[in-house]
Amino acid sequence: MTNDTKDLLGNDLSADERELLELYQRTLTLSRRDDLPPVATANVKQAMVLLWNACNDLAIDCGVPDCD
Amino acid sequence: MDSDRGRRSTLRGPTGNPGPLAEAAEPNGVTVTSTTTAFWNPKTETLPKDQLRALQLHRLQRLVAHAYENSPFHRRLYDAAKVGPDSIKTLDDIRRLPFMTREDWMACQAEKPIFGDLITRPQSDAIRYHLTSGTSGRQPLRVLDSRKDWSWITDMWCYGFWGFGVRPSDTVFFAFSYGSFIGFWGAHYCCEKLGCLTLASGNMTTEQRVKQIVEMGVTVVCATPTYALRMGQAAEKMGIDLKKEGKVRRVIVSGEPAGSIPAVKSMIEDMWGGKCGDTAGMTEIGTIMIFECDHQPGGPHIIEDHFIEEVLDPETDEPQAYGDSGERVVTSFGRGFIPLIRYRTKDLVRKVPHDTCDCGRTGDIFEGGILGRVDDMKLIRGTNVYPRAVEAVVREHSEVEEFQIIVSRKDNVQDEISVKVELKPDQQDVWPRLSAQLGKDLADAHEGLRFNVELANQGELPRFELKAKRLQDLRPQH
Ligand SMILES: [Zn+2]
Repeated sequence: MTNDTKDLLGNDLSADERELLELYQRTLTLSRRDDLPPVATANVKQAMVLLWNACNDLAIDCGVPDCD
Repeated sequence: MDSDRGRRSTLRGPTGNPGPLAEAAEPNGVTVTSTTTAFWNPKTETLPKDQLRALQLHRLQRLVAHAYENSPFHRRLYDAAKVGPDSIKTLDDIRRLPFMTREDWMACQAEKPIFGDLITRPQSDAIRYHLTSGTSGRQPLRVLDSRKDWSWITDMWCYGFWGFGVRPSDTVFFAFSYGSFIGFWGAHYCCEKLGCLTLASGNMTTEQRVKQIVEMGVTVVCATPTYALRMGQAAEKMGIDLKKEGKVRRVIVSGEPAGSIPAVKSMIEDMWGGKCGDTAGMTEIGTIMIFECDHQPGGPHIIEDHFIEEVLDPETDEPQAYGDSGERVVTSFGRGFIPLIRYRTKDLVRKVPHDTCDCGRTGDIFEGGILGRVDDMKLIRGTNVYPRAVEAVVREHSEVEEFQIIVSRKDNVQDEISVKVELKPDQQDVWPRLSAQLGKDLADAHEGLRFNVELANQGELPRFELKAKRLQDLRPQH
């Protein structure tokens, strides 16, 4: 339920914002895999959370805060 | 990755301007190496007001939907008031939502131990658990945070620390006993996120803390205002001149309204040699919601991209105009585990427009910080007395080391108010002059109300590390 092209204010995402969102989405997908060793899952999850934080602060649409 | 070098950032403010650069001249001769922008988040900290309101509305709609769907407590509250996610069409519609109180929260916890049905996810999804400090003897509130919640919590501190000039090259010292109380926990993680050398001191005495601050060349000290003063006093007794021997350029205080009292700040600055800046937060939101920017316009900015701070008349619940004091009612967009929507804080504040400050932030300002508690006002012979206002008068006198306010009832009829004062060891001679002056200043600040001013013995009055409680009401409670 996210918007990949516009921020919450309706502005087009800048190139850097698109890249941040894409990194967030990629780490989110990776963190949900159940076939990776704990070392990968746990660290990717941390990375995903920090990318979510940057996107969320920049008003980039990336869901509600409680979803890990 | 070399191809990325020199690429121009597209993460700027709405004007494309990264914001003014931080000043180069710093107290205590410290050089700050990283001075890219004065804002942690230029894009949303400088949003024009209409866009800021649009962002708040978007976030409010999501938050209410999230709370309604996932927190039985909120669904019950909103169903009873016949409102729901669809009720929020404009920002003003927030007023259709019922308030949430600490009492509601405690009752919910008692009914469905131990977290109540306020939480939106199972306990096993949390990574942190904290409690309110419980200083007033009440049942503590219990809070849980997910990974994302915790990251957001540390990020709100980053808004404040970066905004007050903390940079990766700083060495930051936390005079805080790390335990179940959330206190400076989030600030500690914020400093790690910023890349600062971050020092914990939970196991140290006051003297050991002072020593380490000097030894390690600490540049930023974080403490309650009371404890920042206490460390300064300890340094004096140890024969350490913090201004000469220390490198502290910022003292960041939190946890008590005194952090925004000018006389307290200037005492702290005189002791430490660094600028003193206030922040304020609460366990219920997990972090800070206001911070003083480096320009220090007379109060902290509200982090309005993450919070809605209403100021209401505590009697009528009507919104107060800019400049009128009232009760803080907070809505927080950040914590997913425990939605906090229209939470009555009982904090007394006075909001003024953002352009009172020229730093460029568009978050409004709480002039004078947290002015006190709506419910800690004492009525003495018809005059309102707030402990913070008494502290503001007492702290004008630098000879005072510690003080206490005692309210009592004489002959079961007349209410009396006394201020007990402990002087600095080398200041005993000033008492005759000081006691008369204090009595006059306190009366002048309180419509002529007479205060008894008494001298306490050295070391007689209690000292505090967290949340000083300097008022004792000895009147019979009904
Ligand atoms: Zn400012």
